[in-house]
Amino acid sequence: MMTYIVFILSVIFVVSFVGFSSKPSPIYGGLVLIVSGGVGCGIIMNFGGSFLGLMVFLIYLGGMLVVFGYTTAMATEQYPEVWVSNTTVMGVFLLGLLMEVMLVLYVLKSEEVGVVFEFSGVGDWAIYDTGDSGVFSEEIMGVAALYSYGAWVVIVTGWSLFVGVLVILEVTRGD
Amino acid sequence: MNPLIFTTILMTVLLGTMIVMMSSHWLMIWIGFEMNLLAIIPILMKKYNPRTMEASTKYFLTQATASMLLMMAIIINLMHSGQWTITKVFNPTASIIMTSALAMKLGLTPFHFWVPEVTQGISLTSGLILLTWQKLAPMSILYQISPSINLNILLTMAVLSILVGGWGGLNQTQLRKIMAYSSIAHMGWMTAVLVYSPTLTMLNMLIYIMMTLTMFMLFIQSSSTTTLSLSHTWNKTPLTTTLILITLLSMGGLPPLSGFMPKWMIIQELTKNSSIILPTLMAIMALLNLYFYMRLTYSTSLTMFPSTNNMKMKWQFETKQITLLPPLIVMSSLLLPLTPMLSILD
Repeated sequence: MMTYIVFILSVIFVVSFVGFSSKPSPIYGGLVLIVSGGVGCGIIMNFGGSFLGLMVFLIYLGGMLVVFGYTTAMATEQYPEVWVSNTTVMGVFLLGLLMEVMLVLYVLKSEEVGVVFEFSGVGDWAIYDTGDSGVFSEEIMGVAALYSYGAWVVIVTGWSLFVGVLVILEVTRGD
Repeated sequence: MNPLIFTTILMTVLLGTMIVMMSSHWLMIWIGFEMNLLAIIPILMKKYNPRTMEASTKYFLTQATASMLLMMAIIINLMHSGQWTITKVFNPTASIIMTSALAMKLGLTPFHFWVPEVTQGISLTSGLILLTWQKLAPMSILYQISPSINLNILLTMAVLSILVGGWGGLNQTQLRKIMAYSSIAHMGWMTAVLVYSPTLTMLNMLIYIMMTLTMFMLFIQSSSTTTLSLSHTWNKTPLTTTLILITLLSMGGLPPLSGFMPKWMIIQELTKNSSIILPTLMAIMALLNLYFYMRLTYSTSLTMFPSTNNMKMKWQFETKQITLLPPLIVMSSLLLPLTPMLSILD
C-alpha cells in the first residue's frame, strides 16, 4: 500500500473536492477543505516537499481556513444544508463519487490509460526518486529561487492579495 | 467610491492587462488575468443596486471558469512540453482548451451569453471599460498562440459569433445591449482572420476600440441608454446627431469611413487564402449589424419623432466636457485613406 500512497491520497483529494463542490453549507464545505488540505499536504510531502507541506498546514489551513470558518460561523443560517438533507446535493455528491470510482477502476484494471495524458497504470503514480540533485533538496532551492530570481512574482502576488482585500472591502461596503 | 481606492483599483486593472501582455511565463499570464478580473469587479459595481451586483456576479463566474480552463490548458501544455514559456502550444488538446477559454473571455459564440446581460446591468462608463479594455488581454494571448490554434474550431466560433452578433442585436432597443451584440460580431471578425494574418486582427481590434469608445462617449454625453432617449439628442446637442450618424455607419463598415478598412483587409486576406464562401457569408451577415445601426441613425439623426410642444424648446442645457471625443470621432471616420500605411506592419 505504501507504494501507491500518492494514488490513494489523490483519490481522497478528489473525493473531498466532490464533497464541497456539491455545495452543502459553507461550514461543511470548510470541513472537507480541511481534509483535502491535509491530504494535499501528504501528496506534496511524498514528492519531497516537506517545507511546502508545512506551509499548507500553517498558512492555508491554520490561517486562511480558520478565518473562513470564523466568518462563515458569523454568517450561517439556522438549518445549514448537509449532504443528506437536500436531494440535489446528495445526487451531485453521489454522481461525483460514482465518476471517481469508475475512473479508479479504469486506472486499476487497464495497463495503459490514455485519456488526455498517458500514464501506464498505477505504477506510474509510485515515486522512485524524489528528483534530488543529490546534495541539496530541489524543493527548498525552489523556495529560495522565488525570493531571488522570482522577485517579480512575489511583487505581483503581493499586490494581487492587497488589491484583493481592497476589492472585498469595497464590494461589501454597500452604499 | 473613495477616489484613492478607485484610482488604485483602476490602475490594478491596467496592471493586470499589462502583465498578461508582457509576460513570457504562462503562470504570470494567468496571474495577470486573475488580477484583472478581481480588480474590475468593484468598477462594474460602482452603483449599488441589485442589477449591477447580478451583472458583476455573472461576469465573475464566467471569467473565473475561463481562467480555470486556461490553467488546465497551461498544465496540459506543461506536461507535454515540459516548459512554461509562451510559444505555440504544441499539444492539440491544450490548444483547443486554451482557445475555448480565451473565447469565453472574449465573448465568442457559444460563450457569448454573458455579454449582453453584463453590459446591460452596469453603467455606461463601466460598460465602456468592459467592452474595450477587457478585450485586449485575451486577444494578445490569442495572437501569441495563433500558429497552433485549431482552424476549424476558431472559424466556427467566428462565423457563429458574427451571426449571433447580427441576429441578436436586431430586437434590441437598449443601447448597451446593442453595443454588446456589436462587440460579439466584431470579435467574430477579428478571430476569423487570426490564423491567416494576426496583424489584421490587431488592426481590427484597434479600429473597433476607437469606434466603440466614440459611440460610448457619445452616449455618455447625452446620458442616453435607450433608443428613445438617444432620439432626443436633436434637442440637446444637434451636432452630435450627425456625429452619431457617421460613427454608426463607420461601425457598420461602410466604405468611405474607417470602419471599412478592417473588413476590406480581412476579406482580402481570406480570399487570398482561397476561401471564398466564408468571407461572402461574413460580409452578408455583417449586413444584419448594419441594419440595427441604421435603425439607430434613422431614429436619431434622420427623423424627429412626434413629440409634445414643450419638448421643442430646451432652455436648460447640461454639458459634459469629454476631451477625447473630437479626436476619436475624427479617427473613427476618416482613417480609410491611410490604408496603404499598413504595409509598414509587415
